[in-house]
Amino acid sequence: MDTDFKGEHLFPGHLGQLFIILAFGSALLSTISYYFATVNKNPLDKSWHNLGRIGFWLNSISVIGIGCCLFFIIYNHYFEYHYAWAHSSKALPVYYIISSYWEGQEGSFWLWAFWQAVLGNVLIWRARSWENSVMTIVGLSQTLLSSMLIGVNIFGTRFGSSPFILLREVIDGPIFKSPNYLSFVKDGNGLNPLLQNYWMVIHPPTLFLGFASMVVPFAYAVAGLWQKRYKEWVQPAISYSLFSVMILGTGIIMGSFWAYESLNFNGFWAWDPVENASIIPWLTLIGAVHVLIVYKNSGHAYFTATFLVLISFVLVLYASFLTRSGILGETSIHAFTDLGMFWHLVVDVLIFLAIAATLLIIRRKELPISKKEEETYSREFWMFVGACFLGLSCMQLVVVTSIPVWNAIFGTHAAPPTDKINFYNVFQSGFAVIVTLLAGFSQFLKYKKTESTRFFITSIVYLVFAVLVGALVIYVTGIYKSHWIYAVLMIAAIYSVLANAKILAEVLKGKTKLAGSAVAHIGFGLLLVGAVIAAGTSTVASINNTGENFNPEFNKTNNPRENLMLYKNEPVQMGDYLITYIADSIAMPNHYFKVDYKLMGKDGKVKEEFILKPNAQANSKFGLVATPDTRHYLFHDLYTHVSMANIKLDDVKPDEGHEDTNDDKSFDPPVPHEVAIGDTIRYRDGLIVLKALNANARLENITLEKNDVSVGAKLEIISHGKTYQSEPIYMIKGGNGFDFARKVEDLGIKLRFSKILPKDNKVEITVYQQPESKKPYIVLKAINFPCINFFWSGTIIMVIGFLLSIFRRNKEFKAV
Amino acid sequence: MKKGSIFGIIVIAIAIAVIISTYSKSSTYGSFTDAKQTGTPLDVVGHLNKKKELTYDPTKDANYFSFFMTDKQGKECKVVFIGSKPQDFERSEQIVLTGQMAGNEFHASKILMKCPSKYTQDKIEVTEYKAKQAAI
Repeated sequence: MDTDFKGEHLFPGHLGQLFIILAFGSALLSTISYYFATVNKNPLDKSWHNLGRIGFWLNSISVIGIGCCLFFIIYNHYFEYHYAWAHSSKALPVYYIISSYWEGQEGSFWLWAFWQAVLGNVLIWRARSWENSVMTIVGLSQTLLSSMLIGVNIFGTRFGSSPFILLREVIDGPIFKSPNYLSFVKDGNGLNPLLQNYWMVIHPPTLFLGFASMVVPFAYAVAGLWQKRYKEWVQPAISYSLFSVMILGTGIIMGSFWAYESLNFNGFWAWDPVENASIIPWLTLIGAVHVLIVYKNSGHAYFTATFLVLISFVLVLYASFLTRSGILGETSIHAFTDLGMFWHLVVDVLIFLAIAATLLIIRRKELPISKKEEETYSREFWMFVGACFLGLSCMQLVVVTSIPVWNAIFGTHAAPPTDKINFYNVFQSGFAVIVTLLAGFSQFLKYKKTESTRFFITSIVYLVFAVLVGALVIYVTGIYKSHWIYAVLMIAAIYSVLANAKILAEVLKGKTKLAGSAVAHIGFGLLLVGAVIAAGTSTVASINNTGENFNPEFNKTNNPRENLMLYKNEPVQMGDYLITYIADSIAMPNHYFKVDYKLMGKDGKVKEEFILKPNAQANSKFGLVATPDTRHYLFHDLYTHVSMANIKLDDVKPDEGHEDTNDDKSFDPPVPHEVAIGDTIRYRDGLIVLKALNANARLENITLEKNDVSVGAKLEIISHGKTYQSEPIYMIKGGNGFDFARKVEDLGIKLRFSKILPKDNKVEITVYQQPESKKPYIVLKAINFPCINFFWSGTIIMVIGFLLSIFRRNKEFKAV
Repeated sequence: MKKGSIFGIIVIAIAIAVIISTYSKSSTYGSFTDAKQTGTPLDVVGHLNKKKELTYDPTKDANYFSFFMTDKQGKECKVVFIGSKPQDFERSEQIVLTGQMAGNEFHASKILMKCPSKYTQDKIEVTEYKAKQAAI
């Protein structure tokens, strides 16, 4: 049955789909051509080579074409396309359209393909004699990536998932029978508010550039084995690996920064499978960089270097299988759901694993493996040991993160460790201790052979120094209160910083070649110092041990209660701070809560006062999404996060100007008070003083006749140290008495001037109070993160170190 | 013995230690019945009983949240969580609890919820659109 649907814009989708097919076809063509160009024995026959280039360029153009079509669709709000409907909405600002690209799987595959196309072009330009063989592998990877986007049915199975699929093709619904169904689809689902953050605009592209770039060292290693150029591939692979670890590392930390800012993972690192998936290949590749350098300088560790380079890329693919196939299921909140690509992703991993394994097995006899044993007092030996420990640390992450995979294979029902974060922290800290110690003392060693006495003296002097500094830091920050491994790691990290600082000092004397590694290691050490202090000593500031006893059994568990209840304008003591929820401000869709912090000195004076404005979006599709606000200090950050608030959903329009006249039901039973001028009424939250009676009280739209009387009661309300004014009015008009109540919204009270009692010279004021639960309130959680700035500055220093190293290695390497 | 071999043995030993620790520390998925029998912490997968009451009243206690969950075997149990109600809890499709039984209540230390994914949510959305259309 063909229905003629109205209002659909099918052209951009068809064009996009054409580009996808073209991208797939041209990548395949490029791979095959480069393969034949590589095996071709005639150096003068350039036809395969040229065809390979044309194929890859065509692929690059198609990939860009896909991106343009998708942008056009999202930008114009063509909600007949599922992708646009699912990931964007009309209210979305243009710069977040970019973010909506990577909210879905298809968009992130596209991003990956885009970066791989860019890198492929760089290789075509730079790789010279390596081009044919290296590009065969890059082309193959590009072919497989493009195939993820195809989304066609072959023999009843869908291959890949296309971003250009139509809404009515995805969803079954009666409305899609109607030709004008589009007039019902008014708006898209919108972008998850968590992703509406500037970090989410730049973090995914950086991360995916990191992932994509890992194909390059892999391709060089494969090409080296394939073309029997065993030694030559190492030099270019060092440069590209350094680039990969730098970009991927930056991307990971950007994600960590986003998590920290938005507090979605309760801190900067939570060992969520999605986070683990990104760090797994980083660890092996950083190990690979070290052993590649070892091989280059000493001829040792060839097999380890090759193996780590090869496994890194396989792990990138494995990580993308973990996060994209839906297998993580119950263990992660953030993984993508299964798009029916489970086996497609498995095949992708297996193809590259098979290539790597086959080549290693075929060439095993020819590999230039050194028969001589390394010297104990040589830098290469300890670098090799360090790389192995990086590999072990990676292995631990893989084994634990893959628990759902083991369940699927062996049919078991294991769940991740109950205290996951602690479990990982302790294990990974152990590995980090060894790695940082090695990064420290191997700096005092030379390649080949070192004189041992001098080495021992220097390294022990520095170790003693590190223990002293470390002990001081541990004492001041209070790390000794948590697991002992953190204290050890702290000393090891400081040792690494100090040892590398010595090397850096020598750099300033002229050995500039070593600058990169020293700077990178200092950065890494500082990063760990920050991570240990922040993770080991962060505290919840809003501990609250009040609360009604729901159940005595429950209270026995004596768990820290981390949420604090704040009624509007009622100050609450939180640690050293006196905090008050004072006001709201609304900038749709964000609802900001102003929370006033006063730091009280011992003498009762205010030492410091500031206002934090955490906000929440009560999004009708995503629920209450809260964003914390932070007070940054040099040595700690104070977070304020709203865990609950009684605010309205963003698509519920407030009733403007229309006040319900009879809202008495929303108040507690009224309490009348007979008072004379100067008398005080006590109520739950403070005092009300009748200051004066105002005989000239007027109401705007009521004109008074000769005999009419209108009297206002000037009231002053004092509540929690603040003073409010209110003037309810009593009126006699045409012989009948009326009264006009006044509300004080901030306090949740309503005041009526209900009677005049001329006999006693008194008046009656009726007080209506909102029940406690109806008063505006927020539930707040505040967290103290110390020394996090070390973590961020360490990262920046490490990236600078990587950059310096890349420049150095590039100078050494003249492409042939 | 060669230095390389000693080092190799150390690496293998650590690798085995990692695997054993993962095996011994890993929790198991179970049901409320299992939790009651063993009394040890475990993970229970199930779904929220939306007909029974959810208790979270910050005016009384900002750190007490209770609800009823039905596990995969269909057994229902009251669950108590020390903390605020997770955002968007009512919409959860599946809940994974980590915790243990205390009397007749399950005390959860961690709640992980799976909200309806984009792809299953679609149907709900369509009905919403229809309702809006009728109102115009």
